[in-house]
Formats: sequence, C-alpha cells, structure tokens
Amino acid sequence: MRSLINSNEMKKSLLFLTLILGNSFVFSQDDTLTASQNYKEIVIQGQKKQNKDNASSQLQESTDKLLSTTPGITLIKRGNFALEPTIRGLSAGQINTTIDGMQMFGACTDRMDPISSYIEPTNLEKIQLSTTPDENQTGSAIGGGINFALMKAQLDAPNKFSGKLGAGYQTNANNIQTLGTFQYSTKRWALLVNGIYRKADNYHAANRQEVLFSQFEKWNAGANLMIALNEKNRISLDYIQDEGYDIGYPALTMDVGFAKAYISALTHTYESKTKVLRGIETKVFFNFIDHAMDDTKRPAELVPMHMDMPGTSRTFGMFSKARLLLGPKHLMTLQVNAFQNDLHAEMTMYPDVGSEMFMLTVPDGQRRTIGLTVADKWMVNTKVKLSYGGRIDYNLSDITTEIGTQTLTSFYNGEAFQTRVTGNVFAQATYKLSHHAEMFGGASYGQRAPSLQELYGFYLFNRVDNYDYLGNPDILNEESINGNLGLSMKYEKFAISVEVFANSFKNYITGLVLPSYSNMTIGADGVKQFDNISSALLTGGELTLKWNPIVKLTLQSVNSYTYGIDEDGGYLPYIPPFKSVNTVVYNLKGYKFRAEHVGAFAQNNVNTERYGEGTTPAFNLLNLAVQKHFQLKNTKAIHAEVGVENIFDTPYYEHLDVMKIQRQGVNFVIRTTFVF
Amino acid sequence: MKKIFILSLIGAFVFASCKKDKDQDENPITGGTAPVSEYTLVKSDTTANDLVVELFAKTTTIEIGYTKLYVKVKDFSGTAVENAAVTFMPMMDMGSMQHSSPLEQPAFNASSKLYEGMVVFTMHSGQGDWTLTVNVNGDDVVFPVNVLDSKAGTKYVGSYSGTNGEKYVITLVKPFNWTVGMNDVSIMVHKKATMTSFPAVDNLTVVMDPQMTSMGHGSPNNLSPTSIGNGYYKGKVNYTMTGDWRLNFDLIEAGSTIVSAAYIDILF
Repeated sequence: MRSLINSNEMKKSLLFLTLILGNSFVFSQDDTLTASQNYKEIVIQGQKKQNKDNASSQLQESTDKLLSTTPGITLIKRGNFALEPTIRGLSAGQINTTIDGMQMFGACTDRMDPISSYIEPTNLEKIQLSTTPDENQTGSAIGGGINFALMKAQLDAPNKFSGKLGAGYQTNANNIQTLGTFQYSTKRWALLVNGIYRKADNYHAANRQEVLFSQFEKWNAGANLMIALNEKNRISLDYIQDEGYDIGYPALTMDVGFAKAYISALTHTYESKTKVLRGIETKVFFNFIDHAMDDTKRPAELVPMHMDMPGTSRTFGMFSKARLLLGPKHLMTLQVNAFQNDLHAEMTMYPDVGSEMFMLTVPDGQRRTIGLTVADKWMVNTKVKLSYGGRIDYNLSDITTEIGTQTLTSFYNGEAFQTRVTGNVFAQATYKLSHHAEMFGGASYGQRAPSLQELYGFYLFNRVDNYDYLGNPDILNEESINGNLGLSMKYEKFAISVEVFANSFKNYITGLVLPSYSNMTIGADGVKQFDNISSALLTGGELTLKWNPIVKLTLQSVNSYTYGIDEDGGYLPYIPPFKSVNTVVYNLKGYKFRAEHVGAFAQNNVNTERYGEGTTPAFNLLNLAVQKHFQLKNTKAIHAEVGVENIFDTPYYEHLDVMKIQRQGVNFVIRTTFVF
Repeated sequence: MKKIFILSLIGAFVFASCKKDKDQDENPITGGTAPVSEYTLVKSDTTANDLVVELFAKTTTIEIGYTKLYVKVKDFSGTAVENAAVTFMPMMDMGSMQHSSPLEQPAFNASSKLYEGMVVFTMHSGQGDWTLTVNVNGDDVVFPVNVLDSKAGTKYVGSYSGTNGEKYVITLVKPFNWTVGMNDVSIMVHKKATMTSFPAVDNLTVVMDPQMTSMGHGSPNNLSPTSIGNGYYKGKVNYTMTGDWRLNFDLIEAGSTIVSAAYIDILF
C-alpha cells in the first residue's frame, strides 16, 4: 500500500517536473507570462509551440531589435550596427554572453563588436536571458547572462525539405536584407543551412538629417548537421561564418573595415527518459574573430592621424553538462567547462611628419578558465519549488608574447601571469499562492575575475568619458550580493508579472583618473586605470502586463527601471532610465494591426564629472505595422508585413547611446517571408 | 650492434667537442678570444718605433655619438703588446676652427687583448674632417675617421649652453636595444672646459621627460637618470609604442636649472 502511494506520488511529481521543464521557462514576446522568473526566452525559430507568423517576423528583425524590447535589457549604441547589450545596468565582463553555451569574446578594443553582432536571427532558435546566476551558466559572472541558442536541424520533420525565404526593405537607410533557411530532414540525419545578407546606407535622424558613417554591410551563413546515432545519442555539428564590411560607427572616431567571425562546434547529446542520468550534453568549440578598424573613409580634417587598428580573438573550449533526476523531486545539473581565449589588438599610427608608431592595446592577453557548476531543482511540494546551486571557476591569465610582456612593463612592475579563483552561489524559490498567482524570489552571491582588458588593457580609448584606460593586474575580483523578489499572476484575459531587484557590489570595477599620466589618444582628457571602488548599488525592476479584453485585441506593456549609485552616492554610468514598450495588437480578418509605443523617461541621474556621461531627455515614439499571413497550398505560406517606425519623425536618442547621436527618424518597413 | 651504436655516439660527441675547441682558438685578428665578427678593422698603421697599431670598432661604419673604439698594438712578429701607453686625441677640423670631443682614454683588456676606449663624435664628417690621433708609447699615429650622421629622425648627441656660461655635451650611451615598455637608458654629460678638454660632469640632477612628438604625449613611470660616476647617468625610459621619441632633459646643478630643453631623439 505504501509503495503504491509512493509510486503515485512519484508519477505526479514526474508529470509536474515535465510540465515545468517543458513550459514554465518559456518566455516569448507573445507569451510573456508563463511563470518566468529570472530566466526568459525570446523564441525566434523554436520547434516547440511554433507560432508561424511570429517566427516569420522575428526572423526578419535584427538581433538588436529583438534584444531591445526584452525587459531588463538595454543596448549601448555606437552606430546602426552591433549594439551592445546590458542587463540591469551590467555589461561586458559583468555578464556572460555566450553562443549556444560557447564563450566568445569580441576582438575590438573599443567594444565595437559585442558577440551579438556576429549572429543573426537566422542562426537562432531563441535568445535566453538570465538575470541571476543559474544552472546553465558557463562563467562566474555576477549579473546573469545572455545565451544565443543556435537553431538545430530537426530530425524526422514533417516535410523532408522545408525552409523560408525572406526579403525586407527599410526606406530610412535604404536598408535591404534577404535571407533564407533550408532544412533537409530524414529520420537519421538532418541538415539545416541558413544565410542572410544585410546592407544599409547612412540612416537619417528626424527631419531627414543624415547621420554620416552609419552604413553597414554584412552576410552571415550558418549550417547545422544533426545525426542520430541511435535512440539516445546524437551528434550535432555547427558552423557559422559572419562577415561584415565597411561598418560605420558615427559615435566613434573610427569605422570598421571588416569584422569577421568563424564559429564552430561539435556537440554530442545523450538523452534518456528513464534512467537517473537524464541527459549529457558535451560540446567542443572553436571560434575566431578578425576585426579591423578603419579611418580612411572619414574626412581628412576629422582624422588627426591615420591609424590601423586590427584585433583578433581566438577562443576554444568545451563543456559537458549532465542532468540527473535524483528521486522524484530533484533534478540536478552538473556542468564542467573549460576554455581558453587569446586576445591580440594592435595599433599602427601614421603621422604626417615622422615615423610610424606601433603599439599593442591588448598586449596578447590570454585567459584560461576551468569551472564547475552544480545546481539542483527541488520540487519541495506542489507549491514550493527551489532552485539552488553554485559555481567555482579557476582562472589563469597571462601575456603570451615577449612584446606583450614588454608592453606591460610600461605600467606594471610585477609578473603578467596570475591565477584567480572565483565562484558564486545562488538560490531561487517559487511559491504558488494560488492557481493564478505565484511569488518568486531569491538571493545570490557572485564574484567575477576582471576581464583581460581590465587586467592588461593599454590606452584603450573610451569615447563616453573621453579617457584612455589602462589595465590593472592588481585589481580585485568584483563581488556582488543580489536579491530579487517578484510576483506573477495569470488569469484568462489578464496577466501581470512584476519583479524588483537589488544588487550590492563590493570592489565594483570602474576607471579612476591617474592624474600624472598623459593621454595617448589625441584630444582625450587624460588617463584612467581600471580599479575597484569599495561599493556600488544597483536596484530596479521590471513590470510586464498583458491584457486581452476581447479575443481580437491584445495589449501588452513591458517596463524596466534601473537605479545605480557608487560608493560616494554618485550615479553610476550606463544606467538606463525608466523605459516602457507598449503594444496593441488587433486581429481583423487575418490582418494583424499592431501599434507600438516606445518611451523612456529623462535620465538626469548622471555623474558627468566622474564618468563623463551627460543627461538624456525623455522621448516617446510610435510605431505602426500590419501583418498578414497568407496560407497557401500544403504547408506553404507567405508572411507579409508593412510598417512605419517612428511615425512622427521624433528626434530622440537613448541614454546609453554613445555621443548622443540621434536615432533613426521615420522609417517605412516592408518585409515578406515565403515559408515552404 | 648496440655497442657499435654507442661507440659511434661517443665518436660523434668527441668530434663535436674537438670542433668546439677549435672555435675557441685565439682570434687571428684581435689576438684575443672574442669572436671575429664582434670587431671590424677601421684602419691600420705603423708607428716610428715599429709597432703596428690597428683601430677597431664594433660596427663597419662609425656613427655620430657615443663610439667605443678598440686599439690593437702588435710588434712586427705579430705578438700583441700588452703594456703600451695608449691615448686618444680626436680632432674635428672645421676649416675655420678645430676642436676635440669628449672621450674615455683606452685601457687594456686582457681577454680581448685590446686597448678599449670611447670617443663621442659630436659632429659627422659632412661638417668637417675627423682625425683620431692614437699615441702609443709617445709616438703618434693619425687615423682619419669617417663619421656618418645617425639615421634621419635621430639625434644621439647635443651641445647646450648652460645658464652658468659653460657648454655641456649630452650623449646617449650605446649600445641600446629599444623595445616597447621599460628600457634602461644611460646618458653621459661632459663640460667643454677648452677646445680640447671635455671633462665628465657628475654632480648634476637630471630630469628626463620622454615625449612622442608626432602625437604630443609622454609616457608614465620614467626614472630620470642619476649619476653613477665618470660622467654616466643611468635611468629608465618607458616607450609606450614604437616610433619617434624625444627624450627631453633638464640639467640641474645645486638646485638651479643650468640647461633646459636639451634633447635626444630616438627612433625604433
């Protein structure tokens, strides 16, 4: 009798678990409120729950646009291309940005190439955002992370041959794009290839004001080969090549001649539905970025000195992740990962009079990391779910060349080689208040090792505060204690999710002025060195609302706010003001009318003196679009969309936009996608 | 079979050892053990008392600035003379006037069997004619010396008038092997006492400020050279990049700046 109850309970728990794993961590823009806590997903071409119009329109958006409408994410803009994501006021080394769990690091010393610029929606199944450490983390960052999950070929798909072909045009920057994805699928193997080409001229801010040097051109091609070895074992091979050319950065003093990335991975997955060991995913990967800045297109009077600034970034590594079902109530994740990243950035300057000059700006730094993550999901009872775990990282940093080591002697007496141990622990709980409502909250403590730029950077120019930055091998690890609390309620026609967070830092890393140093960059205000300030505090929250007053009408509102102060109570830089994205979608006879309001409050919480930031005024924009999904024979369909962005041609820029360059004015968009 | 192998190994080893021994034989040019390639014969002449005097340098050509010079004295049978009294007297003939330059008198080095001295060539041969008079045991041998200018964009020696009425010669000490980052740097300071006497000056405080002139920036963490005796001042210079660097010097004597805006230009 006893055993019977147990087995019943077990079945229930298993069902519960499956439900949770299957559904509850899914976040998509059309389905915001399925109990998402600190983990959100933007599904682009997901196989599960695929919403056809959605998939087609998401595929045509830029990665930047998809990220910008996600709660908690704000983008740093330097041009019309390669925007850099920040999560709740944290950026760069503070967050983990990975592609399918793989580490990859931008090669540009001026942060022109966040790794999100090397992938396109055509490559992606979904974008996964976490705001706290979790079981999937592959680095001990302190502020969660973004993972770009690559689209995999689907075995045994309904159609042997399927795909999408799309084209889009935007008037503002004469922006064209064409894309395609093709899949060939059999029971034993499947191949997916995808490609996209995008090209834009200079865009125009409000009143048709041309923003010079904002053009770009790029192509991206990806392939995935999936082979089923047997029921339980699969091999997957990924390759992505992304090449951008002649990319303008109006906010910076230089543009980019080319930016190329080569991303490759071999993955083995083992899945079992019955054993304790539910699955193992093992991946080995290699990626390489080749990046070259270019100032030759700029008018000669604006270029005090011609420079060549190439950089490379090379990363290889592996991870292996096992999921263990320990009894009916525990799902444990064990992950070990290791990677090595080599950065090289150099600068050759050509003065009008005198000899050319050469220097390394990232003097051949190397980072090797090995880490272990242990996490457990515990279904305490039908109401309480707990997720907790930790990670430990062993980091080795070094400079690998003689000239690099020599360069370091310019500002540091000690050895380049150093080791650091960092780690984090986290716990998140969900409490089901009723069928409709649940509360969630948690705490985490994290540390991160400084990035190679923060350790060894050599006169890295920051356009925001107009200072050259030096690395600091003696810098301490940044630490943070993070707490979050949220409530989500979901009713038939109405759903709300609210979350607040506080992130208290110790040894927050920022730049501090070195008064006696003279700047290298012509026109800069001086030299700063990466250093720790004793403390900093980030707080804020997100609010998401969704309301379906009638079946045909959907209203949605996504709101984010962050507030950050340093140890003196002064305001931190790169902190977005309150931002709100509100959409109304109305369905009429298959036509989907969509109105979107994007607005932000003014940001007056700036510390110009210390961080060089100015204030930013508020703005409000209105975007309109009409979509129609034409179902053709069999599974064929055409998705069409026309829209107007910034319909009132409002002049505006966002707070994280470098140099306050005006954003795009009115823009007409037309896109069609053929699905087969 | 194994034995043969070992034997041949030993043989090879012995053979290699013999070869090495041969390399260490006395150098036919210098009479010392230093390798041939280290020195280049500049000129050779004979004194009145039948000694052969050979002048060597480390480079095939002689460049303006700090120049180590080596003298070999042999008798007619070719045997190195080890106890000769050897002195230098460089002279620049500019037509209208003649002057000498800072120097270090030669001293015998037993291992190279050379008399090693140093002359600061303050001008190049385009500005007049250099001669180096080598006096060996009271007899003069006069060698004309062709001094080339240093490569464009460099300046390894300079003369400056002090506020105290004295003239100072600031010389960059060679050899140097510049790299990006921290480098040892040495300069010499001499005073022009007469046209033929340039004593070394040791009592100065030197302030050095490297500047990248084409970009208008300096570099941090430099150590201004301090006196180490015999006119030498040793410090550290930080080159944050390759290219044209100007090392600016102020010479301070007893608290007052006697020479300012002196400079050495380097390029690498």
